[in-house]
Amino acid sequence: MKLEIIKMALESLLANKTRTILSMLGIIIGVSTVIAVFAIGQGAKKAVDDQFQGLSANSILVMAMRGKTESSKLKTADSKVIVENCQHISSATAVIQENMAVSFESEDGTFGILGVENNYFEMSNIEIDKGRLISEEDMDNNEKAAVLGSGVAETLFLEDEEIIGKNIKINGKTIEVIGIVKETGRSMGKSSLDDSVFLPNSMAEKSILGSKAFIMIFTIADDVENIEIASKEIVSSLRTEHQLRDSQADDFRIMDAGAMVGAAQDAAALMSLLLTAIAAITLLVSGIGIMNVMFVTVAERTKEIGIAKAIGGKRGDILSQFLLESVVLSMIGGVIGIIIGNSVIFIFRNTELITLAPSLIGIIIGFSFSVLVGVFFGFYPALKASRLDPVDALRSE
Amino acid sequence: MDSDSSNIRLFNVSKRYGAKYALKDVSLDIKKGEFVALMGESGCGKTTLLNIIGCLHPLTDGEYFLDGENIGEVRDDYTLAFIRNKMMGFIFQQFNLFSRLTALKNVALPALYAGTEKGIREEKATSLMKSVNIEDRASHKPTELSGGQQQRVSICRSLINNPDIILADEPTGALDSKSGIEIMEIFIDLKKKNKTIIMVTHTAEVAKYADRIIFMRDGKAVNNNYKLTSNY
Repeated sequence: MKLEIIKMALESLLANKTRTILSMLGIIIGVSTVIAVFAIGQGAKKAVDDQFQGLSANSILVMAMRGKTESSKLKTADSKVIVENCQHISSATAVIQENMAVSFESEDGTFGILGVENNYFEMSNIEIDKGRLISEEDMDNNEKAAVLGSGVAETLFLEDEEIIGKNIKINGKTIEVIGIVKETGRSMGKSSLDDSVFLPNSMAEKSILGSKAFIMIFTIADDVENIEIASKEIVSSLRTEHQLRDSQADDFRIMDAGAMVGAAQDAAALMSLLLTAIAAITLLVSGIGIMNVMFVTVAERTKEIGIAKAIGGKRGDILSQFLLESVVLSMIGGVIGIIIGNSVIFIFRNTELITLAPSLIGIIIGFSFSVLVGVFFGFYPALKASRLDPVDALRSE
Repeated sequence: MDSDSSNIRLFNVSKRYGAKYALKDVSLDIKKGEFVALMGESGCGKTTLLNIIGCLHPLTDGEYFLDGENIGEVRDDYTLAFIRNKMMGFIFQQFNLFSRLTALKNVALPALYAGTEKGIREEKATSLMKSVNIEDRASHKPTELSGGQQQRVSICRSLINNPDIILADEPTGALDSKSGIEIMEIFIDLKKKNKTIIMVTHTAEVAKYADRIIFMRDGKAVNNNYKLTSNY
């Protein structure tokens, strides 16, 4: 019985193809949006996780004040000041960062250039794949030596090519490749670590990036419990080093790992919330569209309802037929929305534009919402149809 | 008239819309297997009476006994739908078939509402269509059928649940005279099968097939036992 009524609902929808497609559009857009929202949300979460992966809970990051890099007195040597003066900091390393064109013979590309200290790799859990890492001697002698991220090596060199010992050019300067690190899948700031070239920061600052490059100092507190006191020690030692008077504000800012991850996650969650609100509004509007279409359908088929009642159709039969029509309509819209949403994710996930991660929850919620919209907005028109007076319905044309 | 053998018995039935009476104090008995024609001018209340007998309209006053049961006060949709589905078959002037469904599915629709299994209802529908010689039109949509064929489909639909009562509202009104005669011959066959037929008509040519004629005027049955001299 129900199967036959579903078949009749489908036949009725197929009889008005244009109207059916137009009324499904809202649902299609709504469900696609829900799926995209979840993919963006998951993607943002993944991006946050990737960015802060390897960052231990007792990490503290020191950066120049936002937008004041040039006026800040923060310098790479401050890492040593921090280690020497802060009792609760066990290690610190300075990183300077900029994006630049890197070339090898005819191959080139733009990569993140990271000027690092020799202890950076150990602190960031980056392991060597081929050759060697930057040593203390490289630092002391300002060696023109580079360690490549796996992505840089893949872009500039052939698969089986001997890379170690080759000279690459950065900003016109010739630098020798001394090592390649293993793939990390992580990023720092806007740059992927795999798409970065690591240089001794003394040489990088002097010869390539200059003193205006963005400076960060990674520090590790001796215990998670001591994050707060260690942060205070950093502030105090850097204010002394930068000779700031009491009336002057800090020319650097400090973020601990928890605050960094929390802020990034909050931003990702806020974005998801906004997009979810857009998806909810789209679904609401599409639901009203379906309701409108169902009212038109009921009005058009009033006579049919009268006949159905005359030949023994019960209110429940009429109600379920019209309700099924709106549910089938929204379900088909939901399925198309899932296909389109996932196609969009598939297309954009391999681009640099946005990080997207397909989400099963997104698909389930999107589809459930489409069915819910069909039931909710189809119910009133169906109820109205089922309550029509059979004689009045039979008289209508 | 012997009321015990009555299939349908109305006692002082009235139907009022606001202050205006469409039916006023109509009393009649229709026996099982009787073929009755309702005649009268337009607006005299023939169709209203047919709709009341067919449980499509609630009556305002009076009593309505169907097979001895007083159903005049029944307002429950489920019961009324059950009566219309199982005990009555409707035939309309404009056929009122579902344009999206094939002839076979139109015939089988009341059985679908009755909850009959697909195989059984389609077998019944095919057999009924065979009995009125339209089995070769089973897969056609109503728009692909002639008026006479559509009315036969409609007759088959009215018979699918094997009801005792057939209610026909101007069944030949939209047909040419040849098709009209063919439909009336089917009605005679139904009468022979002991079906009670109540038919609204304007024309004496059609009414002459009935056992008796109930004449109506201004919502009242002025003569409910008229017989035409020339019969079929």
